[in-house]
Amino acid sequence: MNAILLLNSLEGFFFGSGKAHVVTGVALIILAGIAVSLWRMDRRLSQLEKESRSDKS
Amino acid sequence: MGQTLHTLRTAGTVARLEWQLEWRQGHQLAAVGLFAIASVYVAFQASDQHTGAAAWTAMLWLVHLFSGFTAIGRLFDRERSNVRRYLQWSAEPLGLMLGKLFHAVLTTTALTAVVLGAFLLFLGWPQGIESPGKPGLLVLGAWLGGLSMTTTLVFVSAVASQVRNGSGALAAVLGLPLLLPQLILATRLTRGALSDEPWVMLVEYPVFLGALGAGTATIACILFPYIWRA
Amino acid sequence: MKGRWNWFWKGGSVLLLTYVVVRGFCTPLQPGLVSATPSQLSVAPQVVDLVAVGQPFATSEDLPASFDVVLRSGDQLIRTDVVAITPHSVRIQIDVPPTMPSRALDAYLFTPASGTLFLGNACFVEDAAKGDVPPEFSASAPDPQEPDLGFSFPYQPNIMESIRNLLWHVPMWFAMFFIMGLGFVASLAQLRTDSIGWDMRAEAAVKTGLVFGLLGLATGSLWARWTWGAWWVSDPQLNGALVTVLLYSGYLVLRSAMGDDDRVGRLAAVYNVFAFVMLVILLMVLPRYTESLHPGKDGNPGFNSYDLDNSLRAVFYPAVIGWGALCYWMYTLRLRMNRCAHHLLSR
Repeated sequence: MNAILLLNSLEGFFFGSGKAHVVTGVALIILAGIAVSLWRMDRRLSQLEKESRSDKS
Repeated sequence: MGQTLHTLRTAGTVARLEWQLEWRQGHQLAAVGLFAIASVYVAFQASDQHTGAAAWTAMLWLVHLFSGFTAIGRLFDRERSNVRRYLQWSAEPLGLMLGKLFHAVLTTTALTAVVLGAFLLFLGWPQGIESPGKPGLLVLGAWLGGLSMTTTLVFVSAVASQVRNGSGALAAVLGLPLLLPQLILATRLTRGALSDEPWVMLVEYPVFLGALGAGTATIACILFPYIWRA
Repeated sequence: MKGRWNWFWKGGSVLLLTYVVVRGFCTPLQPGLVSATPSQLSVAPQVVDLVAVGQPFATSEDLPASFDVVLRSGDQLIRTDVVAITPHSVRIQIDVPPTMPSRALDAYLFTPASGTLFLGNACFVEDAAKGDVPPEFSASAPDPQEPDLGFSFPYQPNIMESIRNLLWHVPMWFAMFFIMGLGFVASLAQLRTDSIGWDMRAEAAVKTGLVFGLLGLATGSLWARWTWGAWWVSDPQLNGALVTVLLYSGYLVLRSAMGDDDRVGRLAAVYNVFAFVMLVILLMVLPRYTESLHPGKDGNPGFNSYDLDNSLRAVFYPAVIGWGALCYWMYTLRLRMNRCAHHLLSR
């Protein structure tokens, strides 16, 4: 009985009340955060590499 | 052919050397035996003679594990000093590794006998079990489990001995996760042998234990020359 | 040219993952039966409710007469009457026969739009005698309907909505295998050439792989809590996964214990080769030969037993590629960081 209650609460929680869109939104924000931080790191490393290259020559 | 023979001869020499050193510095061997017996006695006192099969198995393997650590963990300690420099110049790495492995196998065999014997002497069989269903398999499992732990430990202590400061703790950190699969298999085998499960259920455990031991020994032999040359 | 290709795959991985998130969370689940109440029946006429999850299998305008529920006992079918219907449940009136081949009953719900839903061991009849179902109680199976459910994920008992985790958990482990494999190759090359470049590659690979291993453990633990009822269970696949993560943590411990010893590259490479061999044994070989709760022990881990249908595949493959590419991006960043640090230190 407990298991059934749990199941239906998830159903109600996830789709019945439209929380699926909230979950999607949160996941997208996290993904965007990761992407932006990786991109910034990429830029900074490119700059560092350029500096070190000019260092060497 | 000549190369193989040379390797084997090196292995034999190293094993003999290890053995002689072991007896000459008797205190180290005694320390391991003392550690094993004292641990068993602590287990005996703590369990108050009301030990179920699960707790019995757990204590057996804890004692076996840490005795193995003390016995094998110092296998490459001597190589930190002048002996190492000598061996490094004269001995071939593969032969050295084989010799060490052979010595470790002997030590483990003796250790298994001591631990199991002390366990039966002090604790007896677990409560509710008059005699184990498959005593032969129990002994075989204790030995195989010990061996497959040992081969891993030999490799780990070889790696740890290369690190300049503090190898004991490092060997433990590197070794314990590697020993988990062997311990899981070994404890299941011991419990099965105690409660007389059918052969069909149990036969995979000794096979896996043997395969894991042989596999780690092989990888250790392949990789050891790279450690040694460093 | 090279710069453009870089931005293409890096941006592409993010776009793919965006698609995976949106499709993965917003796609409805196909309907499936989860329970029958009461599940204990006796030999008499009575009313049973069958409850479903997933997308609705009926609309409020549907008539009960267009639905059929048949109970199966052994190889024989028992007739029922559909009394009432809601989007997620169906109420049936059943006259339980006094004799039947098996006391455990499976339920089949035939719907006009969603196909046939099945619930194994739905009800149990305690006081039925063994024997054939009398003809006045028996039913013939209706023709199966071709369901048209649109883009939706397949229903699996126990897993249900959590099947969406397939798009996170499995690709994360794939990414970890991929990057650890890269580290293995780098370590082999390191042993051969003894160059610092390969050592930096191996270190970057292990660090990135560990992140994905931890994520794989976390998503797996979440999934285990839902489907098996515990955050962690003793299972060959799970033990192997934990040992693998601990093993690679040991790699980092070894490196930091060595400090700036110049033998660190070679020793770390030796350990990494050993660790990867153990990974293969623990995660790909051992679980296949022992009993495991974890799906996919005979085949690709996590693959076959989920009978991926086409809609799941359409999201799963992009997820694998997306996570793999993101993982590789993280690896290259780590590697470039190592190179910059090395350059600064050796200046």
